[in-house]
Amino acid sequence: MQSAILHQGFALSRSRSAPQGFALPRSRSTRARLESALGERISAPFTDIERRTLETVPTGIAPLDALMGGLPRGGITELFGPPSSGCTSAMISILAEATARDEVCALIDGNDAFDPKSAAAAGVELNRLLWIRCRKLEHVLKTTDLLLQGGGFGRVVMDLTDLPASNVRSIPLVSWFRFQRTIEKTPTVLVVMSSENIVKSAAALVLRMEKQDAQWSTLLNGFNFNIEIVRSRKSRPLKSYVRVHLHSECVQ
Amino acid sequence: MFACIYIPNASNDAQAALLDCAGAFSPRVENMPPGAVVFDVEGLERLFGSYSEIASKIAEAACARGLEANVALASNIDAAVCAARGFGGITVLNHGTEANRLSDLPPAVLSASPEILETLERWGIRTLGAFAKLPAVDVSARFGQEGIELHKRARGVGSRPLVPHVDRVRFVDVVELDYEIVTIEPLTFILSRMLDGICTRLRSRNFATHEVHLSLGTYIRVLNLPLPVRNPKLLTRLLILDLEAHPPGVGIRRIEIEAIPAKPRVVQNGLFVPLSPEPEKLELTLARLKAVVGEENVGAAEIQDTHRPDGFRVSKFSSTNKDISKLDKSWQDLSNFKLLALRRFRPPLEATVQLRNSTPIWIAFHGVHGPIATARGPWRTSGDWWRPTMWDREEWDIEVLDALYRIYFDVHMDRWYAEGVYD
Repeated sequence: MQSAILHQGFALSRSRSAPQGFALPRSRSTRARLESALGERISAPFTDIERRTLETVPTGIAPLDALMGGLPRGGITELFGPPSSGCTSAMISILAEATARDEVCALIDGNDAFDPKSAAAAGVELNRLLWIRCRKLEHVLKTTDLLLQGGGFGRVVMDLTDLPASNVRSIPLVSWFRFQRTIEKTPTVLVVMSSENIVKSAAALVLRMEKQDAQWSTLLNGFNFNIEIVRSRKSRPLKSYVRVHLHSECVQ
Repeated sequence: MFACIYIPNASNDAQAALLDCAGAFSPRVENMPPGAVVFDVEGLERLFGSYSEIASKIAEAACARGLEANVALASNIDAAVCAARGFGGITVLNHGTEANRLSDLPPAVLSASPEILETLERWGIRTLGAFAKLPAVDVSARFGQEGIELHKRARGVGSRPLVPHVDRVRFVDVVELDYEIVTIEPLTFILSRMLDGICTRLRSRNFATHEVHLSLGTYIRVLNLPLPVRNPKLLTRLLILDLEAHPPGVGIRRIEIEAIPAKPRVVQNGLFVPLSPEPEKLELTLARLKAVVGEENVGAAEIQDTHRPDGFRVSKFSSTNKDISKLDKSWQDLSNFKLLALRRFRPPLEATVQLRNSTPIWIAFHGVHGPIATARGPWRTSGDWWRPTMWDREEWDIEVLDALYRIYFDVHMDRWYAEGVYD
């Protein structure tokens, strides 16, 4: 019976004289048959993932949250910028926000640069943060794979900032798409930090950070930085700037 | 109906043998050291015949274990124990005759405290019959609750329930190999089979394990888990990852695994439980991560109670970690926290610094060199002067090439270092 229907559908599609209005029901029935045939292996083969409502989580940076609602769950967010552009401060703010909500987070530290004291001072609950200290890019990638496959983390941060730029650029785009596919149906947010834009089209949100001016007193008191939304899956203007002021009385 | 086997002055071995003997007749055995065990023989008539025949079978079984024991059967536990202690050989007390049969026995068979026995002696009470004739109210007034219990035993009307003895069950499996194994891979199959069996036994008794001891000949590894599990695949994988990280280095001929039983974890899931990894999965992920980057590089950062710069240690990570100080606060006010983050250079990078009026004006270190646009400092810190690990330094915050760094002058080393970059 099924083969007969398929045959009929094929004949209709080849018919030049068939009115255009017939095409839609025919395609629907073909789609329904394919979906039922693939049902055991793939739950929704024709569901457009882009159309899913993207749940967002706050970053802890109020102007940024007000503009774009936060970071998309199940997607990659990339923060990039030169040294002292505020990427690490933004990352710590993201982790502080997540751990304050009792979510478990992971930080894959590409060059062992994480400073627990700064993080604790910024409100990160260190006992809810799994810290993996790496020195090699291959370790970073393998570790990320393991963490994303294991699942259950609210935020996974890949810090590639201090790794050699040539090595970081050599990460194939397929790796980023693999990470994206791994988390796309999970509530995990993968945050990638680097000195330049590397995730490209696999990222749901790309933010460029740039330092503006610093405030000084006895020591460094704080600095302003701009955040430019380079890419966002949400329908927002691409060139949006947020000006954020970081402050510290005395960092010890 | 209850049976009691009694041996005067029994050693520990004899007591264990008594338990074995009783266990051969009934699963409900109460251990009453020294020298006595009581067990339920109700329903054994269909197997062994009358109560006398049952008592004979028990005596034979005790004899077969090298025990010369008194055996007594009675309708209640206390009467059976008193009879076994008081009469030699085999005794069967039928229901309703206990008081009469026990009346000639001395009060010592009641296993009362020495003080009570001495008082009874002074009162001239030489038999259970004489003790039973005393008014219960007066015995209670003189001896209290214990006296009432003893009075009941003397009258042969005890009614306490049996308290079954539970053996400490060990979940152990041992495999002796015909030839030595020198690699980890073949071990996987053996461990998997052994852990399958152990986990099945654990599950049948509603146990899990939070500690697994693996002995490979003289090489011993202990796997500690933050929560009890009974998944053989998970345990196998964790043991293999542990062995890969800590290889035995010798050929293996004997494998012994012991799982320490623990109550399984009971979790009430909720709709609003925050996102965290499943503990079992997390353990496996952590073990895999440790295999990739090393054990010392995976965990939760713990800030040490010191002013020493970068004073921290990495502790074991668990998703069930909770900060007790935060339990009474539902939310933290993040706006109160400082948000200026430092990226550390580990170890600090040696720097060349030029000074003018004791202020840094030019710096060079690891790919960064140029004039210092702004410098603020010094911020002097020192500590642990009584230890070899003392520190004494002057910190500066500087701006070079549009980036903000923290540098310091080590007073003892007489050198400049770049400590990190503000980011």
